[in-house]
Amino acid sequence: MMSYIKTARKHIRRSPYQALAAVLIMTLTFFVATILAILAYASHSTLRHFETQPQIIAFLKNEATSEQVSVLQKELDTDSRVRNVRYVSKEDALEIYRKATSDKPVLSELVSPKVFPASLEFSVTDLSFAEEVIREVEQKETVNQVAYTASLGNTKNIGEVVNNLRNITNYIRIGGLVLLGFLLTSSLLILLVILGMRISSRREEIEILQLIGATPGFIRAPFIFEGIFYALSGAFVGWLAATLGILYLTPSIASFFADIEVLPLTTQGLAMLLGAILGSELLLGLILGATGSFIALRRYLKI
Amino acid sequence: MVKFQDVAKKFGSISALEDVSFEVEAGEFVFITGPSGAGKTTLVRLLLRDIMPDKGKILIEGKDIGSLKARDLPYYRRKVGVVFQDFKLLFGRTVWENVALALEVAGDGGNDEKRIKDALDEVGLLDRANLFPKQLAGGEQQRVVIARALVTRPKLILADEPTGNLDPATSRQIVELLDRQTKEDGTTVIMATHNENIVNSLKRRVILFRGGKIISDKKGAKYSE
Repeated sequence: MMSYIKTARKHIRRSPYQALAAVLIMTLTFFVATILAILAYASHSTLRHFETQPQIIAFLKNEATSEQVSVLQKELDTDSRVRNVRYVSKEDALEIYRKATSDKPVLSELVSPKVFPASLEFSVTDLSFAEEVIREVEQKETVNQVAYTASLGNTKNIGEVVNNLRNITNYIRIGGLVLLGFLLTSSLLILLVILGMRISSRREEIEILQLIGATPGFIRAPFIFEGIFYALSGAFVGWLAATLGILYLTPSIASFFADIEVLPLTTQGLAMLLGAILGSELLLGLILGATGSFIALRRYLKI
Repeated sequence: MVKFQDVAKKFGSISALEDVSFEVEAGEFVFITGPSGAGKTTLVRLLLRDIMPDKGKILIEGKDIGSLKARDLPYYRRKVGVVFQDFKLLFGRTVWENVALALEVAGDGGNDEKRIKDALDEVGLLDRANLFPKQLAGGEQQRVVIARALVTRPKLILADEPTGNLDPATSRQIVELLDRQTKEDGTTVIMATHNENIVNSLKRRVILFRGGKIISDKKGAKYSE
């Protein structure tokens, strides 16, 4: 094994520009793969954020009694389509208003809890239920008005928001897979060309090895290790470049998206995400390198 | 050790060997001689199983090498030391590495320093071990090839015009080196050559070919016969 690796290393050192070309194309592929993986994670997190946030607020009438409110809350609690039901009193509502207007304290000084309606906030287990649940809650005697907490672009209800997010997530996934497929195919082809050149330039050496009794495995192994080396190096460097960029941008991303945890906020969480991406990419690199080498050997080294 | 039984080989319409039969005993040194196109190189290639005969059998230690499966071929070739006219050295490797390669290929890892040293010492190139082939003279390069052939201690050495590119004095040294293998280690050597002086001076068995056929097969014969 060490002898094959040593021979592969010699091959690489003797033609550094070919090796560099192979590693660079792999680096580009895995750089894009890392970015796409992060984007897919971020879009999924954003979608999950909106799906799990209290999306619906049922503002209660002022005259609603606490018993009526309690009945409605229980009713929602037992509804299998609804989850995370929370009662927000007038005082809580004022507190939320104060927080929202903390930069203009004068605004909150002018209001009292009385002006804010109490409300029941909740989310639905699946957004396809949202509209029917909202319609039902709007019919309730104690409910004055039902509102949604999120909006995106020109959308008017939470269903549209989430549908838009789902579409964006799907576009990222499908577009990403297509782009990645294209890059992986290009990398594979470049690997084939480079290994083909390697094999051609070593035709005489291969012939000598055959004549002195080298097995096909002995002759092929260094080329396979070479292909795997290119793919693994490219995977690592591409991942590293993307990771450094993401780490640099994380504070800005976190502050821009505020409440939405597009990336894990803890160091451990981020390390696990990036580690999982690295592991997957190294595995993909191993498969890509080995596949490329095998195809090149079948095509160019008929022994 | 080596037995040819009615072996024939054609390249297109040209007959390279025609019904060739002869036997070589273990430890024997045999010259295969004849003019260009006589079939000498074809015979060596057949012995290496680089090509297959159209007819007949080639037996090595009683085993028909034509029946060897492709996967067994490398193991057969490891038992045969080969010396080529054009050396066939790896120019990116040092003298030591070229010799070690034969052991590496044989699965010995190329780490048996004593065997490599002995082989290089045998051909008088121990002090050149770290040089690259291009830094050596032609005769020295051929001696590296011989060291590579000897290091696996083969029972049979095939030499195809090993002195073809060398001056008379160096040619003489190379042949003496091969001759010593038969005398000291009992190695069988089959050497294809058309170097008249070498053949005549060594007085060994000479099989003379012409047009793919054996014209004569005599011990101590002269090339001109």
